[in-house]
Amino acid sequence: MKSRLLFDENVYSIEALKKASYRNIANYSVVIKKEGAQLECLFSFPVKTSDEKVLEYLDDFKREVLDQDLREIIKRETEGVRNLILSHAFSKTGLTGDE
Amino acid sequence: MPFQRQGLQGMSKFQSVEFFKKKKNEYSLLPFRFERLDNQRRVLTNLAGEYLVINEGELKAFVNHALEEQSDAYINLRAKHFLVDEKSEVAKELLEIKLRTKYSNLSEFTALHMFVVTLRCEHSCPYCQVSRQSDDKLKFDMTEEIADKAIDFALRSPARAIKIEFQGGEPLLNFPIIQYVVEEANRRKNDKNVSYVIATNLALIDESILKYCKEKSIQISTSLDGPEDLHNNNRPRPGKNSYEKAISGIKMVREHLGVDSVSALMTTTRSSLNRVKEIIDEYLAQDMEGIFLRPLSPYGFALKTKSFKAYGVEEWNKFYEQGLEYIIELNKKGVAFKEYYAATILAKMFTSQDPGYVDLMSPAGIGISAIIYNYDGVVYPSDESRMLAEMGDKSFRLGNVLTNSYEEIFLNEALLGPIEESFAYSVPMCNECAFEDYCGADPVFHHGVHKDFVARKPESQFCNRNMSIFKYLINRMESDQFVKELFMKWGQPHA
Repeated sequence: MKSRLLFDENVYSIEALKKASYRNIANYSVVIKKEGAQLECLFSFPVKTSDEKVLEYLDDFKREVLDQDLREIIKRETEGVRNLILSHAFSKTGLTGDE
Repeated sequence: MPFQRQGLQGMSKFQSVEFFKKKKNEYSLLPFRFERLDNQRRVLTNLAGEYLVINEGELKAFVNHALEEQSDAYINLRAKHFLVDEKSEVAKELLEIKLRTKYSNLSEFTALHMFVVTLRCEHSCPYCQVSRQSDDKLKFDMTEEIADKAIDFALRSPARAIKIEFQGGEPLLNFPIIQYVVEEANRRKNDKNVSYVIATNLALIDESILKYCKEKSIQISTSLDGPEDLHNNNRPRPGKNSYEKAISGIKMVREHLGVDSVSALMTTTRSSLNRVKEIIDEYLAQDMEGIFLRPLSPYGFALKTKSFKAYGVEEWNKFYEQGLEYIIELNKKGVAFKEYYAATILAKMFTSQDPGYVDLMSPAGIGISAIIYNYDGVVYPSDESRMLAEMGDKSFRLGNVLTNSYEEIFLNEALLGPIEESFAYSVPMCNECAFEDYCGADPVFHHGVHKDFVARKPESQFCNRNMSIFKYLINRMESDQFVKELFMKWGQPHA
């Protein structure tokens, strides 16, 4: 069984779609294609998946994409301070390369 | 007059009310990860592993710098180091200290040294991968020469305090080598703190062994799978009296060594799945302070033996949650009783100290937290990797104490490769998982089941089982203040 979702490239990143797809790899597979400004996700579900379950998976996928989008924002904003904390935390442990 | 002009500067003496209102974006996010707890709520964890549950709208407002300073969410996020503003400037330093404490055990390796003093056993448990029904001492017993070398390795560990655990087979079948190791390790230990434990089914325990254990402060760890019929079904031995031997053994150990000197572990077989209350009741009847509800390793004989078919994650989770609910109920009635797997996870949630449990460590605990010297001198980085080897998969064989140096063993690619590959900070999905701090890499499990040190986490039983437990523990704490206080006590027993 196959289904399709379209995402606006100006709103969502391919990275977010890929990560959302990976998280659900146990339930279905996704092929992502770029069509103009649209990102197309083509879903393939195992044969035994019910229509109801497919709808549930698609809704869940949309929520997961939004979560991944938020994660990207958090990562961008906190990357500097994260590296700073990690380098300070391990600076006296003998575990970093430059000691 | 509240707004008096100040001459040339043209400024008011008092700033307007708007001036004192906090601008919404005057905070910075600190690094954190989040997972969905349900459709409305998200659980956030920071670099030090502290968690906070907020709703979806609050999370979006927080990330978009639109959270009101007066809101509960803001106050909680600041208190738990998810944001920094002018009132919380030390947050970064606190996170650094907590993070450093959490990983401090890495330089204090290896704490647990397991000596397989014999493979011989008088039990014939169908799920056991290693034991042999044999009287051939020459073939399956550890020799003094091998023990000597293994003691050298153990005492060479940077860890200031080490534990030597005697395993089997049934280790009491080779008690002379246990005595030899204890005497030699005590003689050579210098300023290292060495403690000892024997993992035994207690069938062979006697007065003379207990006298020696008392003299040398040796602790006992045994197996108790539940009520008599279940225990005996899981653990066949001549006389069909494994339960009776275990119970009388526990009593004897307590009489000689004290009440706290014996602990028990259980194995969950398929027959255990609908009997969790009875199993816990058995532990209570034996005056145990808690139970470690642990699943059967899903490889080796456990899979191959038809009578012990492995069970799925959902069945296990149901068993585990039923058990925990019963334990909560007991505590509500005033019966103090603990579940140790949950307590290990809760310690990671509520303290900066890593409990050092091999399965729940990243970098993986293999070799770092524990190491095992087999009867024949072969070294493996965990008990599970020894079991894999017994089934023919020697991927984790690190060498032999008779022919390899300490450096060759600990720098072996069979140890460093899996540790490096499986480090959760760089594993797909783990690297963004809010529960990464509570979880572990467990390359042995993933190799055993998925033939890959990492595996695809959405398909990993280990990941699914633990994710479910983390969410369950947090959900229970969020919904019941009694449970929150109980779990905090389990997580911080010394607080």
